[in-house]
Amino acid sequence: MRSLISTLPRRIGTAVAVALLVAWSLGPIYWSLVTSLTPPLHLLGTPSLWPREITFEHYAKLVGATSVSQGNAVQSVWPQFSAALVNSLVTSGLATVVTVVIAAFGAYAFVRLEFPGRDLLFVAVVATLAIPAYTVMIPLYRLMISLKLIDTYTGITLIYVSAFLPLALWLMRSVYQAMPISLEEAAWLDGAGRIYTLVHIVLPLSAPGLIASAILTFLNAWGQFMVPLVFSPTLATKPLTVLIPEFVTRNYIDFGLMNAAGILAIIPPVLLVLFLNRYLVSGLMAGATK
Amino acid sequence: MATVDIHRLVKRYGTEEVIHGIDLAIRDGEFISLIGASGCGKSTLLRMIAGLEDISGGTISIDGREVNDVAPKNRDIAMVFQNYALYPHLSVADNMGFSLKLRDVPKPEIKRAVAEAAELLGLTPYLERMPKALSGGQRQRVAMGRAIVRKPRVFLFDEPLSNLDAKLRVQMRTEIKALQRRLGTTSIYVTHDQIEAMTMSDRIVILNGGRVEQVGAPLDVYDRPANLFVATFIGSPAMNLIEATVRRDGDRLAADTDDGLRLPLDGYEVAEGTAVTVGVRPEHLTLAEAGTPGALAIAVDLIEPTGHETHVFGRLGRHQVVVAHSGRVTEAGSVFVTIAPGGLHLFDRTSGQRIDTAERS
Ligand SMILES: Nc1ncnc2c1ncn2[C@@H]1O[C@H](COP(=O)(O)OP(=O)(O)O)[C@@H](O)[C@H]1O
Ligand SMILES: [Mg+2]
Repeated sequence: MRSLISTLPRRIGTAVAVALLVAWSLGPIYWSLVTSLTPPLHLLGTPSLWPREITFEHYAKLVGATSVSQGNAVQSVWPQFSAALVNSLVTSGLATVVTVVIAAFGAYAFVRLEFPGRDLLFVAVVATLAIPAYTVMIPLYRLMISLKLIDTYTGITLIYVSAFLPLALWLMRSVYQAMPISLEEAAWLDGAGRIYTLVHIVLPLSAPGLIASAILTFLNAWGQFMVPLVFSPTLATKPLTVLIPEFVTRNYIDFGLMNAAGILAIIPPVLLVLFLNRYLVSGLMAGATK
Repeated sequence: MATVDIHRLVKRYGTEEVIHGIDLAIRDGEFISLIGASGCGKSTLLRMIAGLEDISGGTISIDGREVNDVAPKNRDIAMVFQNYALYPHLSVADNMGFSLKLRDVPKPEIKRAVAEAAELLGLTPYLERMPKALSGGQRQRVAMGRAIVRKPRVFLFDEPLSNLDAKLRVQMRTEIKALQRRLGTTSIYVTHDQIEAMTMSDRIVILNGGRVEQVGAPLDVYDRPANLFVATFIGSPAMNLIEATVRRDGDRLAADTDDGLRLPLDGYEVAEGTAVTVGVRPEHLTLAEAGTPGALAIAVDLIEPTGHETHVFGRLGRHQVVVAHSGRVTEAGSVFVTIAPGGLHLFDRTSGQRIDTAERS
């Protein structure tokens, strides 16, 4: 009886908290999905929690060759959308690969190599996380102009890497710090060099950390708005985040199209997380020691 | 197979010196144990030999060649770690073959060498298993296998048995010793367990606070401890110590305690008035009938039967003493003991060093 009294409020509390959290994170996505399926005319009326009538015309406008909008045949936005999708994939993918590779090797140096000013340097790198992006935007813009890197994959990737590397370095450093050094020492005595040990012993065991860094970096890059808004003026590198708001025209805000594009833009990161999640298993270190 | 020569070896962490100039010559094929309390520098010394710690001063030579600046991987040394340090993502066979693969040994030959080592260690049924699917004792064996598979010049062991339960520890102790005999590889074995050190080693090195207190064959160290530290460190229960002053009684020397005890010092040549500590191992206090000439009376506090012998705790005058008797002892308020011939050790109390009888020194 007593346990029921003490657990019941706790259970209700947990349930409410979970419900709030789900509503908080999935609510906007649901709203977006509903909007993307609602005919344009209904969008102007009172909002409703579910579509009274389902239409795929917004999606057709995105992916079809031509489509009907407000009674007129209009050009599809597929060429722009697909170009931006590729740009998003390329810049986020490049940023992820470069960041994770540098973090994997760099963090190892910060943990296992002795050099003067090591900890100071690390703190300095991580401290850059506290600098708001807009404070460096103008100098960075001038720098990129002088390097002729505006609107190039290289330029965007470099900016992303510099922005996301500190977090990945930090994460990987704690992963390496938690690893018993005796494993590496055993490998050295077995005749392995530093790099061989890192690649064949340390990295396989750090897979969960590497994958977490990759997911974080990819999601961060995928959602970037301000950097590409400034540095990706054309469809040469413009990503989805910048393209989608441009569906707002002078006299018409195409809510349906924007939300359909938004829903499609969620798919790649979701797929990536689902795919990598399989490798995010813990317990890789089991059996190493004791 | 190799000799290892350590000369004036010093280790400093920052300004703190933890190894204070150690000299040690290890012979080819020898099994030598480093023993001492926790924190005395055993692991540090071993890791310096392995090349895992920098050398702050002095030299280490293997087979006469100085290796101070040789990387661990080029020293041709294998080490068994206290926590085994198996590669968790590799199978038992791959763990054991790792070093050979690195040396570009052809696959069939690796397979043969691994199979041979596995046979020796009783690991053949487990070769395809992952380390996490093994028991503690099996992991310990895999760690051994990884060391022996490549036939290194020197084996290093850092408390390899301390994570095993008591029974397995005794079993592995014999196995390691037998294996070392068979392979004849120079081995340096770190332990804080004196039974391990005594039973396995050709010689033992007793370390204390980063210094060598004594080096010698186990029984030599036990029979003739070089100083008070070794006297109390080796042996369990520990040696009884009685503080006394040397007096001359006619032409015979004796150690007199301040509570009126007199222990004859036959055969010693010590200046009268020297402050000494007399040591007697518990098993060298022999129970005697009351009235035996020279018998000492002990007031009994506690009798502890261990099964194969009995420990009698009591007081000799004001001194706490332990008697180890090989038989059973019935409850009594007091017992009489005599000191077995040759059972007396004499130490200079100021320096702590052993004083030998005249004909020995
Ligand atoms: N990395 C280190 N930095 C500073 N002091 C250390 C370090 N490693 C060991 N020590 C000190 O050196 C001494 C010897 O340590 P260790 O060789 O591990 O002892 P043992 O193996 O005999 O228990 C200890 O006092 C320990 O505190
Ligand atoms: Mg130790």
